[in-house]
Amino acid sequence: MVSKRFVLKRLLLLVPVLFGVATFVFAILHLSGGDPARIIVGQRASEETVRQVRQELGLNDPILVQYGRFLVDVIQFDFGDSYQISKGNPVREVIATRLPVTLELALYGQAIGLLLGIPLGILSAVKQDSVLDHVTRIGALGGISVPIYWSGPILILLFAGYFDVFPAAGRIGSTIFLDKQWTLAFDLGQYTLTIAEDLPLTGMVTVDTLLLGRMDAFVSAVMHLFLPAVTIGVYSMALISRMMRSSMLEVIRQDYMRTARAKGQGAKITIMKHGFRNAMIPVITVVGIQFGTLLGGAVLTETVFGIGGIGTLIVSAINATDYPVVQGAVLTFALLFTLVNLGVDITYSYLDPRIQQ
Amino acid sequence: MSTDTSNVGADREGRGRIERLLNSPFISDLLSNRLALIGIAIILSMLLVAIYARVFYDFGALQSSRLGGSIPDRAAPGWAGGPAPANEMLFGTDQAARDIYKRTMYGAWIAMKFGTITVGVSTVLGVTLGIIAAYYGDVTDNVIMRTMDVLLAFPSLLLALALVAIFGAGLWKAVIALTLVYTPRFARVVRGAALKVLEDEYIDATEALGAKDPRILFRHIMPNTLAPITVQSTLNFGLAIIDIAALSFLGFGAPAGSPSWGKMLANGVQFGLQSGRWWMSFFPGLFLALTVLGFNLLGDGMRDALDPRMQDAMD
Repeated sequence: MVSKRFVLKRLLLLVPVLFGVATFVFAILHLSGGDPARIIVGQRASEETVRQVRQELGLNDPILVQYGRFLVDVIQFDFGDSYQISKGNPVREVIATRLPVTLELALYGQAIGLLLGIPLGILSAVKQDSVLDHVTRIGALGGISVPIYWSGPILILLFAGYFDVFPAAGRIGSTIFLDKQWTLAFDLGQYTLTIAEDLPLTGMVTVDTLLLGRMDAFVSAVMHLFLPAVTIGVYSMALISRMMRSSMLEVIRQDYMRTARAKGQGAKITIMKHGFRNAMIPVITVVGIQFGTLLGGAVLTETVFGIGGIGTLIVSAINATDYPVVQGAVLTFALLFTLVNLGVDITYSYLDPRIQQ
Repeated sequence: MSTDTSNVGADREGRGRIERLLNSPFISDLLSNRLALIGIAIILSMLLVAIYARVFYDFGALQSSRLGGSIPDRAAPGWAGGPAPANEMLFGTDQAARDIYKRTMYGAWIAMKFGTITVGVSTVLGVTLGIIAAYYGDVTDNVIMRTMDVLLAFPSLLLALALVAIFGAGLWKAVIALTLVYTPRFARVVRGAALKVLEDEYIDATEALGAKDPRILFRHIMPNTLAPITVQSTLNFGLAIIDIAALSFLGFGAPAGSPSWGKMLANGVQFGLQSGRWWMSFFPGLFLALTVLGFNLLGDGMRDALDPRMQDAMD
């Protein structure tokens, strides 16, 4: 079991790291040299207006005061308003609409990676030096060598262009309209009373279409998500199957495996019951580390497939020198990555309780 | 006379060292690993391509010139039904009627050059920081390694993008950003290796003999951490090439018109995807993937040769 003390200790260790992350994110704005006030009001505005905006933003205060204010705001996840991309709107809201899109992509990609990578790695180890093993190993090496911004376009050219089975870009068919409101109409004789309210949706199309009970839309969403998820999933599958294989090979040679077989347990049960859990320990670490690669991959995948997630948001925010959005998006990614690694640490200690000491 | 003999002695010592290296189990293991040899072959071929392109192709012409009136934009390769003369159009042309074959060849030079700089500088920085952290311990160790932790808390491409937001776009700036991204990885590996070396008694002995810190650091500790560093550098070389090209692909690295693989792939997505002009993406990506595969094959082979535990598992 995982002790509460262990979790608490891990959480406390996060504080200085997150503090450092926030400091770095603060520095993005102040080291970049651009004048935020000038960016907001545009090139043609008068010097007077710029001065006024600068005053409003508090950019004339001493840097330490600004830093303190930034830290207080960041704890409430407040990055101020967007300069350009969604001018005047809070960055928090911009991110809230974009984040589910990226998460959906990353989750499906990760699922493909795990569902295919783990069995392939185990089979490869159990049937070491077989044809299957060689194919898996070389395939996995190939998989981690192929950049997403090449495999993505090639998949589009093949399956959206040549075979024409999947759509090339976007998240859902352009003819599909999702009504996000539900309405109740009461006929009161002379009047009609209509109650309309926004449904609490997740922002993930594959989930929302199901919530709305629209099967046609769901199928369209899945078809749109298929190629991007495969693009990102192949990479993580390659990493996971490599780690699973080498980890399983090491476990198979342990004494307890021989003991289990010696007491008459079947090969399959031994591998699944004794081998799997122990072999998973290093694999879990890899899953945590490669989640960062997955998030980076999401930036590239979103760009290739024209998906409006946090990845494309960050790219356009850098191009538009929209610093609050850059800051918010970078911090969101770092936070996600850190939390996933915390989860990995806790899972790790659950699988191998010795870690906790 | 005396200088002569000492030179001969040094020379002999040097030759002995090389012989010892060649006879070491690490090298013989590596050379008996077929996949690692394929990796070395790929890397050497790419290096030849890179040098050939650098020497014989005119960079300015690759960047901007059109091939001449008769050659159309976005033409398929000669052998796939593109325009004659076929031999000149081996990989087709891009959206500005530029020869993709020559540009792809030149891309090898850009990738190798900037990959080497990124990995080289971050290795030197990482090794220095890692050894200093391990040797001095305490506050020094904490300051260095906690800073590295913060950098490692970002997904690598995202950290590179954040740094690009500070520095601005450009190949050299992308290289600086990626150097900062890769340095913590080396620092961590080297610190771990150096801590193990520090437990050995000969370090105490050297200290007792009155050796100064820099001598201990770079003469005694560093050589003993070289093996894990070399593996780490090789494995990261492939990643560095992918990341540099990724920044160019996103528009923050090589400038428009540059014959870099990342920029060519961006062109392929922008101008070739909807119209099905596969050659614009296929060839630069193929060369990029092959190069990275070469470094991954070699890096894997080196790691297996270094780690006897893995050797047992392989037998």
